[in-house]
Amino acid sequence: MKHYKKMVYPYVAWISVMVVAPMLLIMFYAFTKDGNAVLDFVFTLENFKKFFSDTIFISVLGRSLKIAVITTVICLAVGYPAGYFISKCADGVKMKWILLITFPTWINMMVRTYAWRGILQDDGIINKFFGLFGLGPVPMLNTGFAVVLGMVYNFLPFMIIQIYTSLAKLDTSLLEAAADLGANKTKSFLRITLPLSIPGVLSGITLVFLPAVSSFYIPEMLGGGRYYMIGNLIETQFLTTENWNFGSAVSLIMVIIIIVSMYFTGKADKTEIMEQRGN
Amino acid sequence: MKKLVQFRNIVKNFDGQLVLKGINLDIYENEFVTLLGPSGCGKTTLLRILGGFLEPDEGNVIFDGEDISKLPPYKRDLNTVFQRYALFPHMNVYDNVAFGLNIKKEPKDLVEQKVMRMLTLVGLEDFSRRGINEMSGGQQQRVAIARALVNEPKVLLLDEPLSALDAKLRKEMQRELKRIQREVGITFIFVTHDQEEALTMSDKVVVMKEGEIQQVGSPTDIYNEPVNRYVANFIGDSNIVDGVMVEDYKVSFEDKTFDCVDSGFGQNTPVDVVIRPEDLDIVGPRSGQLRGIVKSVLFKGVHYETVVETSAGTAITVDMIVTEDKPVKNEVAGEMMDANDFYVDILDLDELSDGFIINRADAQAWNPENDERISISSVDYEIKKEKGTYPVTFSTAAGTSVTVNMIVAEVNKVVDEDYGEEIYAVNFFKKADELAESIALKTDLKIWANAYADDLEDNSPVQITDVVYDFDPANIVPGTYKVTFKTQGYEYKVDTTDKFEVGAQVGLKFTPEDIHIMKKEMGE
Repeated sequence: MKHYKKMVYPYVAWISVMVVAPMLLIMFYAFTKDGNAVLDFVFTLENFKKFFSDTIFISVLGRSLKIAVITTVICLAVGYPAGYFISKCADGVKMKWILLITFPTWINMMVRTYAWRGILQDDGIINKFFGLFGLGPVPMLNTGFAVVLGMVYNFLPFMIIQIYTSLAKLDTSLLEAAADLGANKTKSFLRITLPLSIPGVLSGITLVFLPAVSSFYIPEMLGGGRYYMIGNLIETQFLTTENWNFGSAVSLIMVIIIIVSMYFTGKADKTEIMEQRGN
Repeated sequence: MKKLVQFRNIVKNFDGQLVLKGINLDIYENEFVTLLGPSGCGKTTLLRILGGFLEPDEGNVIFDGEDISKLPPYKRDLNTVFQRYALFPHMNVYDNVAFGLNIKKEPKDLVEQKVMRMLTLVGLEDFSRRGINEMSGGQQQRVAIARALVNEPKVLLLDEPLSALDAKLRKEMQRELKRIQREVGITFIFVTHDQEEALTMSDKVVVMKEGEIQQVGSPTDIYNEPVNRYVANFIGDSNIVDGVMVEDYKVSFEDKTFDCVDSGFGQNTPVDVVIRPEDLDIVGPRSGQLRGIVKSVLFKGVHYETVVETSAGTAITVDMIVTEDKPVKNEVAGEMMDANDFYVDILDLDELSDGFIINRADAQAWNPENDERISISSVDYEIKKEKGTYPVTFSTAAGTSVTVNMIVAEVNKVVDEDYGEEIYAVNFFKKADELAESIALKTDLKIWANAYADDLEDNSPVQITDVVYDFDPANIVPGTYKVTFKTQGYEYKVDTTDKFEVGAQVGLKFTPEDIHIMKKEMGE
């Protein structure tokens, strides 16, 4: 076994160069000033002060969290029934549903999001349809609605797959046992199915919330710059204003928010497992 | 006693396959009833119909005087212990047991009282806060029983609940289940494929086969008076021989007439005779009712299972002609080729094919460099439909060829009217090294000699159980050897405490009470 350990080294090297080193650089930039002054750098907390003292930045953070939470809630509300429905289908039908749901993700996300512009714009397909009845045009592009729609559209499959997987693993004899003990369909869902699918729900939430909160492409495409999110802020700092130090600081703040939220979902998952063990 | 459960002509299909063929069965209060049968006999299906997890295609289930055929499981006044327990993994032991009571919204203090009493009944009072996954198989089993019983059902259904436990724990749980059943005094319906389990625990055993009930009775009834061959075989080891009921209290088998205690079969009726291995005694060859030779002795722990053959089966002997290995070599093509002379039954001439001939002649061609097989591209022969010797030539595409003799002979068979069997085999040629290379010599000998046996009446195949030969396979030299194929004769299993030598001449002794007579089943 021992000499197989050596096979890990290339990956260690890869991760060090491609992940760890950039992270360290971001941390370095976040606590320094004056761009690429690597040799005569000056440590400072200025970047963080700038972020937390400016209400605009705080409101951008607030908006990001709000849109991510709304997206997650909608994905959960749609994804749970969908996952439940698929798990109840016959084996062959199940795979067809899963294929249908994952199929769009084979196409690049930018392309798919861009297509939504065409659908939502004032002379797009929806408004043309409304026009037949003399309605509209209803402005949909560049609204909060469009941003949330784009996110739900892109991230919903992750939620459905996670929930489906946890429901498909559920031993049907448990439901028979519940029925045998007097539980009707509703009660056996609430007491058996739902609690046993919580791990799937939590990983679904993680997989939707994290990309939603840090997304910059969807708000730019469908929000028309009016729904400026934290991802956009970081992008602008690096690409437009070229203030890498401030951009790094905001990135670091995001990383901390993500780590904290992962810690809490992980903890919820653990208490679930602890309960399963009866502690 | 009151009838609690009545199955009325229950029929169930799965994908057009008839799993239950009209089951009628009454189950009474406070009975420990076992549904016994091999897997696929429909016993679990019947239990699931009673539990409400399956709906019968036809027939009714009457429970406590009420037709419950259409009632969903949660409205039925019975509970189930599932095969793999189906305990809720996200709840501890206490919550699992309390589940049914909580669903019925019983007051908390009452729930606690009942749950703790039930956990005490199954001996788990100190484990109430444990998680399910921290419990052993036997403990999980007890939780499952407590979870079902706490609801005070009138009937407890148990679906092979002990099958996942090891032998020792299973024995322990058998006693435990019986104790619990006596203590709570309700009906247990227990499904199992283990006849010993059924006999030790039940008040009533229901033996099932292919969706039909074979026999219903107490364990002693079923053991001592099985109604047919199937039940006798399923319940314990039995010796079953063909016999004729001469008149009441007189049965004849193995050309002798014996006194027995059965009557009512009519005169000169063919019957099956059952004698249990533990009812037979081995005595001196002259003092028993039957004589035989000890064929095998198996140590079974408490006793030896000694098999005594009283008369040999049908046998046929053929010649095996062992020749030197002289393959043909084709230097130009780089090929080697080899084949044997072979015998063919005159009757088999009609079905002669190239593949059959290649097989019988064991013809093969190969490349000596890498041992790779080369296919035989043509088989040439000319035959008449009569006995004689005909040359057969095998050749490959590269032109290597071998010619051997096909000897067409009269059908070689032995017919035994007593057993109603016939057995066939042909003489054959073999190379010494092929014999040495065989890893399953007896099976290979059967194939080489084309040996088979069948029933005279319906031509159904009869197994050849013994192959005897007069050579030492490790040291074979060219020559002619005898190989004998035999079907099973009359054999009796006898449970003995002494160990007998294989090959010893012995007598078998039994009393009229030891003989059980069963009606012969149609079609057997």
